[in-house]
Amino acid sequence: MKPILIIAEVMDGSIRPVTWELIAAARVIKELMKNNVGGKKDSLKIQVIVPAQNPLPLAKKILSRTGVDVLALQIPEDTAYTSEAYKNWLSPLVRVCDPSHILVAHTSQGRDFAPGLAVRLEAISLAGVNKICSDGDLLLYYRPVLNNTRNMVLGLESDLLVVLTLMPGIFFPRVSKVKSCGSITFKKICRWSGQPVRMVHQKILKQENNHQILKTAPIIVAAGRGIGERSNLEYVFRFAKCFLASAVAASRPLVDMGWIGYDHQVGITGASVAPRLYIACGISGSSQHLAGMKESDWVVSINKNFQAPICSNADLCIVADVLPFILAFLERE
Amino acid sequence: MKILVCIKQGLDDGKMSRFDEFALEEALALKDKLGKPGSLDVVVDVITAGPVHAVAVLKRAFGMGADRGIHIITRDIGYMPAFVTASNLAVVAGRQDYDLILTGIMSQDMMEGQTGPMLAEFLGMPCATAVVKSKMGTVPGIVRVEREMENGYKDCLDVHLPAVLTIQAGINIPRYPSLSKMLVAAKKSITTLVEEDLFSNPVSPKEFLVAIEYPDQTRAGQRLDGSLDDQVRQFQSFLQEKGLV
Ligand SMILES: Cc1cc2nc3c(=O)[nH]c(=O)nc-3n(C[C@H](O)[C@H](O)[C@H](O)COP(=O)(O)OP(=O)(O)OC[C@H]3O[C@@H](n4cnc5c(N)ncnc54)[C@H](O)[C@@H]3O)c2cc1C
Ligand SMILES: Nc1ncnc2c1ncn2[C@@H]1O[C@H](COP(=O)(O)O)[C@@H](O)[C@H]1O
Repeated sequence: MKPILIIAEVMDGSIRPVTWELIAAARVIKELMKNNVGGKKDSLKIQVIVPAQNPLPLAKKILSRTGVDVLALQIPEDTAYTSEAYKNWLSPLVRVCDPSHILVAHTSQGRDFAPGLAVRLEAISLAGVNKICSDGDLLLYYRPVLNNTRNMVLGLESDLLVVLTLMPGIFFPRVSKVKSCGSITFKKICRWSGQPVRMVHQKILKQENNHQILKTAPIIVAAGRGIGERSNLEYVFRFAKCFLASAVAASRPLVDMGWIGYDHQVGITGASVAPRLYIACGISGSSQHLAGMKESDWVVSINKNFQAPICSNADLCIVADVLPFILAFLERE
Repeated sequence: MKILVCIKQGLDDGKMSRFDEFALEEALALKDKLGKPGSLDVVVDVITAGPVHAVAVLKRAFGMGADRGIHIITRDIGYMPAFVTASNLAVVAGRQDYDLILTGIMSQDMMEGQTGPMLAEFLGMPCATAVVKSKMGTVPGIVRVEREMENGYKDCLDVHLPAVLTIQAGINIPRYPSLSKMLVAAKKSITTLVEEDLFSNPVSPKEFLVAIEYPDQTRAGQRLDGSLDDQVRQFQSFLQEKGLV
């Protein structure tokens, strides 16, 4: 049986937690494929490639925690992640390993190199997979489309190699005793000499933010594009004042348009919050926004469209024009 | 300098995909900065692959200031993954020597974020995704970019031209189409190509669509309709019940 290959996500020399989710997803696939190989599931291997300047400690951590095979890939000193480098380093290794699947995190890094790697390997590539199941022998892959309002369910024509980028926060790592004992292989990449280097990493910048206010507020009132105009933000602030110790948050487009500062942005590229109550005003509930607020205790949505994805992710859905609703609420208070 | 911007018409609303406006604006701003007014030393081409009516997005792009348009009329195969689109775009883009190719970070309908990086690989160009800042001209032949990562981090890179960049929202404020440009636009020529003519054997998807479903529900999603007064009252009792006031 061909193995399932995972590319660990390494940043700043450490393993990013999403890697554990990739391993959990590989186990889901393994379980589903078990039926196809006549129950011989142990013949199906999971292997993790961990590319880093000092990969051995990381490889040991992965092995002791999950028991799967690890390839510790030492990358040249003073090199860092670029899509070009990853494609060059990984494609020959993948060819040798000849996997059925390659699992990559659907993160800024994974989205950057996976599609090009797939083309180079003549593989199929599915982006943002959020569910995997099977129908008989056929594996089915789910991914969001149409502004997150639907999932597309896809099957594959043949047993071609498939590269999957997996949505973070979906596949939960099982905490169980490690039974199988995999091993660590070490490999060193020599400085790439085949082609000129066309992407040179310079540095990493950190955008200053004050997300602490959002992270500690027990109640958050969040504004989205549905509020219509910038001047309407004033009503959102007044609405928030009706609650003790509240804070105002926003979806990304409002920050992009310069209506409100980055300190207020919630989501995958903003703050992750978990208040007692999150009130989403005119927010559609894209996966990138949900990622930042789904741990809230209670979620209320005010949206004129009940089909908006936020409504499947809220406890209470007030189907209304947001401004008149806020005004009516302010009047009653 | 020749710049190509890939733009897509949304399946749902027929408009230019939101992120593509940022890509086009980035190209036009570069033209404004580096080109002499009225000359064609910096050319901004726009390309779209889609059905006949997708031409509407090229016209909008002209209205914003694009110079030339290319329309690949595609077969109606229902499901059109990024792999097929990128293959089509690569054939056409490969015939010209573009210095820079821009796409949106992802389309609003297909949401793959793959067309740009795949196109780059087909053309043998380097590719940086999620670009939130681009600067050209400091070092010749290089575009200096910042890529957005999670948690407010950004990766700074020097990318050699020719290159593909996928553009993230917030990098600029896209201009509106202007009336005067719209009038000139009517006279601008669009090169129309038919997908079947690009290949002797058009690329077909290797994956197939089984179904389209609603995403799983993660919370109760109790629906509150009725008059505003009713809604406010029920919202208040919800707050009280859960001890939130
Ligand atoms: C890599 C990447 C990272 C991203 N990171 C983030 C992030 O961190 N945070 C984030 O928020 N987004 C992020 N996004 C953007 C995200 O994909 C969505 O575009 C964004 O979340 C949409 O914001 P919205 O819900 O305010 O707007 P829309 O999606 O436009 O939704 C507006 C909603 O308002 C409703 N509405 C309209 N008018 C009214 C009215 N009068 N009354 C009531 N309701 C109304 C509509 O029904 C709709 O549901 C990211 C995107 C990418 C590609
Ligand atoms: N049919 C198309 N025609 C032209 N450009 C496209 C097309 N589809 C996608 N693109 C470009 O690729 C980007 C990413 O799209 P996607 O890979 O579908 O998420 C879009 O923002 C466009 O810039």
